[in-house]
Amino acid sequence: MPEFRFEPVVMPPAATSLRAEVRAFLSEEKAKGTFVPTVGAMVAADPAFSARLGARGYLGMTWPKAYGGHERSALERYVVVEELLAAGAPVMAHWIADRQSGPQILKHGSERARKMILPEIAAGRCFFAIGMSEPDTGSDLASVKTRAVPVAGGFRVTGRKVWTSYAHKAHYVIALVRTGGRPEDRHVGLTQLIIDMKSPGIEVRPIINVYGAHEFNEVTFDDVFVPEDMTVGAVGQGWAMVTSELAFERSGPDRFMSTYPLLVEAFREVGDSPAPMEAAELGRLVAHLATLRRMSTSIAGMLNEGRSPVTEAALVKDLGTTFEQSIPEITRRLLPLEPRAAGNGQAYDGLQQLAQMQAPCYSIRGGTREILRGMIARGLGLR
Amino acid sequence: MSNETEDTGVRDLMLRSLDRIVEEKAGHAVQAADGKAGFPADLWSALEEAGMTALGEENEGDLGLGNAAALIERAAYHTLPVPLAETILARRLLAKAGIEIPDGALSVAPPSANRDGKAAGVPWASAVGGVVVATGPETLSLIDARDVAAPGFNMAGEPRETIDLARARIIATASLADAPRIVEAEGARIRAVQMSGGMSRVLEHGLTWANDRIQFGRPIARFQAIQHLMAELAAEAAAASAAALLAVEAAAARSDRFAIAVAKARTGEAAGRVCAIAHEVFGAMGFTQEHTLHYATRRLWSWRNEFGAEVHWQSEIGRMIAAGGADNLWATLTAHG
Repeated sequence: MPEFRFEPVVMPPAATSLRAEVRAFLSEEKAKGTFVPTVGAMVAADPAFSARLGARGYLGMTWPKAYGGHERSALERYVVVEELLAAGAPVMAHWIADRQSGPQILKHGSERARKMILPEIAAGRCFFAIGMSEPDTGSDLASVKTRAVPVAGGFRVTGRKVWTSYAHKAHYVIALVRTGGRPEDRHVGLTQLIIDMKSPGIEVRPIINVYGAHEFNEVTFDDVFVPEDMTVGAVGQGWAMVTSELAFERSGPDRFMSTYPLLVEAFREVGDSPAPMEAAELGRLVAHLATLRRMSTSIAGMLNEGRSPVTEAALVKDLGTTFEQSIPEITRRLLPLEPRAAGNGQAYDGLQQLAQMQAPCYSIRGGTREILRGMIARGLGLR
Repeated sequence: MSNETEDTGVRDLMLRSLDRIVEEKAGHAVQAADGKAGFPADLWSALEEAGMTALGEENEGDLGLGNAAALIERAAYHTLPVPLAETILARRLLAKAGIEIPDGALSVAPPSANRDGKAAGVPWASAVGGVVVATGPETLSLIDARDVAAPGFNMAGEPRETIDLARARIIATASLADAPRIVEAEGARIRAVQMSGGMSRVLEHGLTWANDRIQFGRPIARFQAIQHLMAELAAEAAAASAAALLAVEAAAARSDRFAIAVAKARTGEAAGRVCAIAHEVFGAMGFTQEHTLHYATRRLWSWRNEFGAEVHWQSEIGRMIAAGGADNLWATLTAHG
């Protein structure tokens, strides 16, 4: 019987002062008008804002100083990340690089890749995209067809990736490609490659999403050369890396705080003496949020200790995305857009509409809810 | 909690010892009987002899609320028909008010069920030597209600009796600021912990069933529809466990009320979903008196109502945050690291 225990995490003393410092920085930025809080977690991008975060030491926080990092604990990084999300700050530009690509390169990249790339990520000047899905490869990730053929000094990559967020601005993409075997061979022969987006043979076409924004792209690789020291992990080991490590990225606050700014605006709308139904419904959402945050920090603590709570992480993403999707649905029942009571509420109206349109993507990105439930079922011993 | 590492060893021993007592003294007959068959004195004595009924009091040099909560959670998992949680709760409240704690089983009257001079919904009132009642806004009393309790049961068949307060004998009274609110909150915390234990039982039961039950020539666990239901059940049970722990730890940090409200609201909501899914997965088999699934599900349905149902605590959270202002929500959520 699997037992899920979410032990408390003792935040290091440094985390408390760091939290105050980040909060002060963010309210300064908001006061200067550099950003308006928005929903979607990692959707809004502002490279200049990312560079300011880098200058303050808020990126690459846990990495060695030799690679531009700051050698701080994973829990201190957690504090910075959740403060950014709570503020609805524009974090997309650096998000993938700081959360995922950088740590992978640090752990599995070549020394040249580390020296060349990590300090730039930590400075907030180098951004990444992830190339996993393809036109015929969605949830069935092991069926990727993009092929990397070994040539002198590296590989030649040919194929097509889709839903590649931020590829139009990113400096690199880490792509999952087939270095051996055929698509029928499934998990065998897959490799992750760091591909420089300036390489000849790359074409990026925008894919405009359902609410009219340009976030993702189709990226075509036509005989693109990738040096051999730009692999992440051993050749042929891509599948193991994708499934083991990316699973940990499922438990972070970006999996339940996407619509947090809308919850704040809803509280602003109801004022200091809410109607009974408003108090109960908004209070319910806060109870969910406090619980999710507890689960998520607890997992951060487990990861900090070197444990691998894969199933727990999937549980958090399942609960978290359901929660963030429920915020627009519940608040619109309390505070409908029409007919509206008096008051300005422009921030609320804007976020309410954006959140409604954006919500479907929360339980798709990073592994669909159905795929996650299958993983949880495996963890429970049901398959 | 203080001495967390030291405590963990003691806790494991204590839980193993509880498991052993359950094996020897409880078994299906006792668990199935719920309260209707009367007070299981044998089981109670075994718990008392093992020192399990006197935990969690403040300033008592005891094993701490953390260990008491672990014990209560496991007793709930075992669906034991004894007022163990109530006794631990009562002792904790008496210690707070400085009232001398009597030996033996005790209980606590939920304040919101007090009206017209009667305390309703009191667990095991006629079977215990003393019931803790908030008899006024600033007063806590210990009363003997053995001869003045009218019988009644919750949905699980656990005794929930009505006491005529005017006729009950007062054993001791002391002043305690905010007595009804404190009793309500401490009771809610304990029920949240019990619900977490009950849900871990339902999860375990459901997993075993799904792997054993054969339909269409294979275990029903092989069907994606069942896998997804069980994944959702596990997620809700996990959330409940995390929320209950939040309230237990908050006691040490003295940051109670918000954490308790979160815990009771979230575990109660999870309980509803967990029971619904479990019964769906067990089908008609689980819908009989003979089956053991209802030992836990009927308790969960009952406990989520006791010491404030979800909506009560959700509303309190909503009002608390609204009064503090929208921009302070985040500070409240992160106040304790």
